[in-house]
Amino acid sequence: MTEPSMGDELRKMKEEYEPLLPVEIKLIWVTFFAGIVLSVVLVLLSRSIG
Amino acid sequence: MSTPAELRRNASPIPAQQPASSSASPGFNEDWLAVCIGLFTFACALGLLFGADLMGWAVTTSVWTRPGKALATVSKSYIALPGALALLATYLFLLIVLTVGAKLLGANLTRFATGFTMVFFLSYLCWFLGSWAYIAATPDKRQALKIGWSLNLTNESGFIVALLAGLIIGNFLPRVYEFIKAGIRPELYIKTGIVILGGFLGITALDQRRLASAMLFQGICAIVCAYLIFWPIVYYVARRYFGFSREWAAPLASGISICGVSAAIATGSAIRARPIVPVMVSSLVVVFSVVELLILPFAAQHFLYHQPMVAGAWMGLAVKTDGAAVASGAITDALIRSKAFAASGLNFEPGWILGAATTVKVFIDIFIGVWAFVLAWIWSSKIERRQGDRVEAGEIWQRFPKFILGYVATFLIVLLIGTASPTLIPKVKAGMAQANVFRTIFFVMTFFSIGLVSNFRRLWQEGIAKLAAVYVTCLFGYIIWVGLLISWLFFNGMLPPMVKG
Repeated sequence: MTEPSMGDELRKMKEEYEPLLPVEIKLIWVTFFAGIVLSVVLVLLSRSIG
Repeated sequence: MSTPAELRRNASPIPAQQPASSSASPGFNEDWLAVCIGLFTFACALGLLFGADLMGWAVTTSVWTRPGKALATVSKSYIALPGALALLATYLFLLIVLTVGAKLLGANLTRFATGFTMVFFLSYLCWFLGSWAYIAATPDKRQALKIGWSLNLTNESGFIVALLAGLIIGNFLPRVYEFIKAGIRPELYIKTGIVILGGFLGITALDQRRLASAMLFQGICAIVCAYLIFWPIVYYVARRYFGFSREWAAPLASGISICGVSAAIATGSAIRARPIVPVMVSSLVVVFSVVELLILPFAAQHFLYHQPMVAGAWMGLAVKTDGAAVASGAITDALIRSKAFAASGLNFEPGWILGAATTVKVFIDIFIGVWAFVLAWIWSSKIERRQGDRVEAGEIWQRFPKFILGYVATFLIVLLIGTASPTLIPKVKAGMAQANVFRTIFFVMTFFSIGLVSNFRRLWQEGIAKLAAVYVTCLFGYIIWVGLLISWLFFNGMLPPMVKG
């Protein structure tokens, strides 16, 4: 049996789509909003120090 | 048709660290080797503190119109040594040090020595060509060099020449590539260069402590930006719009957002992806780093020459792989300084733009282990629950990029010596100037090696187009602009000090 090539695997991936799990969605949004909040805090901090 | 096994063998760029062979010393890898070589060079250069000029024989290349006068020793103590012999001495020093390192890594010494010799001399030839006055001279130097025009690229254009030479060999001269393959170690070269760079940046920090503190602060912001703002969006785009599986999307997100090769490999093993996945992602990262390296420094020179620190931080945030990011910082440093001088008469001190790029990149690197740990925990406990899987805290240390310890050590040693005894600063500066010769050589070899491992045609043949589509969309549609915005927010209006006198 021959193994499929990477090209084939990548091409077929959309057809065999793994739906996003709730935990993935949580990971995405929690990290993103944490990033935005921390960035705002750091900008304010840098302005107040500078 | 290639099988994954063949792909692993053939398509591999140089991964983050070349795996040590079975005869390697246990626990010793390229990171530790970079620390050892960097610290050894740094320590020898500090011999000046004790009256011993141990590295003064190292070769430097000035901007030249007559090739015979281009090479010289870095220290006047060795002025009697002809330039060609200084080059030979520099080569022999590096050959011995790196061959000992290769022995510790368990490499084939004959092949390594042959490969390294070719990499060294071809890289140095590129550096030499890039120092030709018609390419390198800045407007203020033309009169002294008796030339009417020049491309104004400074002698750092040797980096671009090395990159292009590497690309030509890597893509069109496969036999030459095979012959020198054992000496192609871009990650080792850049990491060693970064360890040495720590001392050089320590000197600049001594002069301008307030600006140096601001740079460290920007480093913290870079961590937030790369891990919390870039990563989730790239992961979401790869999963939702391009239909990638989790196994592909996580290393891809880390490769594009964090620190290319190292992060892709750490993430791949954290989520238990097949080895081919991070290898393919790494290949893509290396190739796109080259594209960024050729575009972004020139874009920064054109649009950001009045905001040099923004430009430096932007290179650290937007350009992936340590080598390409720090290299972009070096080119941007040279290009912006020359443009700012030509356009506004502002003569910025060298090193600050490069320092901003390096600080940002190093701070991002520090957290790769922590991020891999977090992903390993989420994957094993929430996404792909496997019985008996336990994520050990020791993995954070295992994945920590150890060369950063060398960088921090050289930076702090210089800072401590200068703070404790200001009278020693001139000697430390002279020592760091000597160490900087080796830093430059490691950087040139990095550029050349990055070009060599970037085989565009082979990657295209292996069906990387879909991965590339995600990369292009996220990099040019999101990361570059958000990286610019973050850099702007923190460095807007901050200028490097001017050259005195």
